[in-house]
Amino acid sequence: MIRLSGRLRSSLIIGLQGIRARKLRTLLSMVSLFLGVLAVVTVQAGSVIAQRALLADLELQRGKDGTLLMYLPSEQGASAITLDAVAGRDDAVAMTRAQAIIGEPGLRPVNEGGVPIDQAGYGPPPQMVCDDHGNCVEQSEQDDEPKPVGQAVELSLIGITGDVREFRPFRLESGEFVDFDSAPSLAPRLVINKHAAEAFAAYSVPAEMRITGASANPTPLIVGVVDDGGWGPTAYVRADELLNWTEPAGLSDPNYGGGIELLASPTATDLEQILRSRFAANDIPTEFQVETIDSLEQMGSQISLMRWIFLGMAALVLLIGVAGILNVGLATVGERVEEFALRRAVGTPRFLLAGIVLAETLLTGLLTAAAAIGAGVVGLEAASRLFASREPFLANVAFPWEAGVAGVIAGLVAGILGGLIPAIRAARIPIATVMRA
Amino acid sequence: MTLIQLTGVTKTLRGQDEARTILSGVDLTLEPGESVAVLGRSGSGKSTLLSLIGLFDRPDGGQYLLGGKDITRVPERRAAALRSAEFGFVFQRFFLLKHLTALQNVSMALVNGQGWLPRRKRRTTAMEALERLEIGHLARHKPPRLSGGEQQRVAIARALVRRPKILLADEPTGALDTDTGNLVVEALRATTDEGCALVLVTHDRDHAAKMSRVARLTDGVLA
Ligand SMILES: Nc1ncnc2c1ncn2[C@@H]1O[C@H](COP(=O)(O)OP(=O)(O)OP(=O)(O)O)[C@@H](O)[C@H]1O
Ligand SMILES: [Mg+2]
Repeated sequence: MIRLSGRLRSSLIIGLQGIRARKLRTLLSMVSLFLGVLAVVTVQAGSVIAQRALLADLELQRGKDGTLLMYLPSEQGASAITLDAVAGRDDAVAMTRAQAIIGEPGLRPVNEGGVPIDQAGYGPPPQMVCDDHGNCVEQSEQDDEPKPVGQAVELSLIGITGDVREFRPFRLESGEFVDFDSAPSLAPRLVINKHAAEAFAAYSVPAEMRITGASANPTPLIVGVVDDGGWGPTAYVRADELLNWTEPAGLSDPNYGGGIELLASPTATDLEQILRSRFAANDIPTEFQVETIDSLEQMGSQISLMRWIFLGMAALVLLIGVAGILNVGLATVGERVEEFALRRAVGTPRFLLAGIVLAETLLTGLLTAAAAIGAGVVGLEAASRLFASREPFLANVAFPWEAGVAGVIAGLVAGILGGLIPAIRAARIPIATVMRA
Repeated sequence: MTLIQLTGVTKTLRGQDEARTILSGVDLTLEPGESVAVLGRSGSGKSTLLSLIGLFDRPDGGQYLLGGKDITRVPERRAAALRSAEFGFVFQRFFLLKHLTALQNVSMALVNGQGWLPRRKRRTTAMEALERLEIGHLARHKPPRLSGGEQQRVAIARALVRRPKILLADEPTGALDTDTGNLVVEALRATTDEGCALVLVTHDRDHAAKMSRVARLTDGVLA
């Protein structure tokens, strides 16, 4: 232990003396390496940030990695069976989808068809009516008097049987999420997404909620706003609160897909079996679709090719830096031949000298890595401040630790590549040099 | 006890194409406090002999006993430790490190990965060595500002700082004028009063005469 630390301390002193005697050289090799390490750090940081943004979007829109996704029918009592099957389970959530209009009675919604509010006015695509011969005509307004437009918003109404955020991490923007602990309320409590919130901000207060097939029009209560990654106005509500107003089958509007989406954790493997057997017992088709969400894999193929191309270019720049450090290292060893021979003559072991040379370049590499990582952090901070308004994904981005690790590894690898050959040369200098010089 | 005993030591060096036998059977014994001058023509192998004694290199044949122990084939690791503990070296050129002060140049022999002395102890030890050679006042000077004789005395202080048993000097006065040379040889000889053995390679008969023995290297044999 004492011998080792004596060696370590000796090499520290010798190494620092060497660096101090050649400050300019050390600086020059750092400069030659800096751009290479910076390139690696930048590529890594960029791809991690892009990946994070993509993954967050994918998770919002589809669900977390590994989540089981089932598309179930809603006809012939399938809705009731499904709602019953997930009741009381905390590893699965069913989502029904209907269309609702919230606003003053008797008005046409401003965004007919539930389109985003900034696209309102174009309306839904015209319905075609075809006769037996295949001649199709555009369906004309059925009502003699079209309802006047205004003060109502059409949106997707998603009934949920549990907290979906377990599977799709909606970001709460204000208020709170649907509460499943209390008893179901007669006035359905809605959590709306950002698009719906925009619509309501522009078009007044909700008064009543019209749901196709409902027994009456309840008065909804908006309790929160979330970012759900979706594109159109949407509201989330406890399915059991909707059931006060409509039959289970009415939760799913056949005009908008009509099925029930079921999200389950990867461990809930029994659910599929239960549903299939109960469906079969009730003569409901059992060939529903089941898939597992693999966001990472889906995204990986999108990003990895670009990332490898950029990393390849960064490696090339790094290689130029290594050549620089190697060049300086070899020149330095050439200059220090006599010093090394002398040090060996006074008893310094050759491996210690090799270690010192290697340690000097490693230190240079690490210092460079620290400088490049620092530049990366500062650069990202600056980019985030300057461009966050134009590129929202740049807002509040943290410097990815993966980029820091990549920078340190690049610095270490460059130090080893650039220092190894000079170190071996240093160890091979014959001591007799001091007598023949 | 006999400090150094070489018996029939041979060494062949490989040149560009043909190998040349430089030493063809050298016998040499050295007792503590003894001093030997080695004379010989240029190229006769004096430096080669010194590099074998000082464990820079190993003999091809013969036997090398150091304090009774056979170190003819000692591995490099052990040789480095022996160079540090047993030997001091002085060369024709001084080989001081330009970026270090005289004091640091002496204590650099203490910073060689062989054992550890704290900073304060290193400084006092190195300072003592400088003072033994009467150049303590130059401790803070860097080599480019020292005269040749002063530089060589710093180099001798570096060789003596670990109190070696054997001092090997290869033409230490070759780069100095006569008066300075005499001063340096006297400093080297003085170490033998304290029991250090000295091997002095020189071309100068006057310097050789100050040693307790004179040996001549001819045709690879010491006589
Ligand atoms: N690495 C080597 N390979 C081959 N031959 C060598 C090598 N080093 C030295 N020699 C040869 O060995 C011979 C002895 O060299 P050495 O340096 O020991 O002589 P020397 O007696 O010290 O001479 P000088 O008085 O000029 O210093 C010389 O002829 C030299 O050319
Ligand atoms: Mg010589």
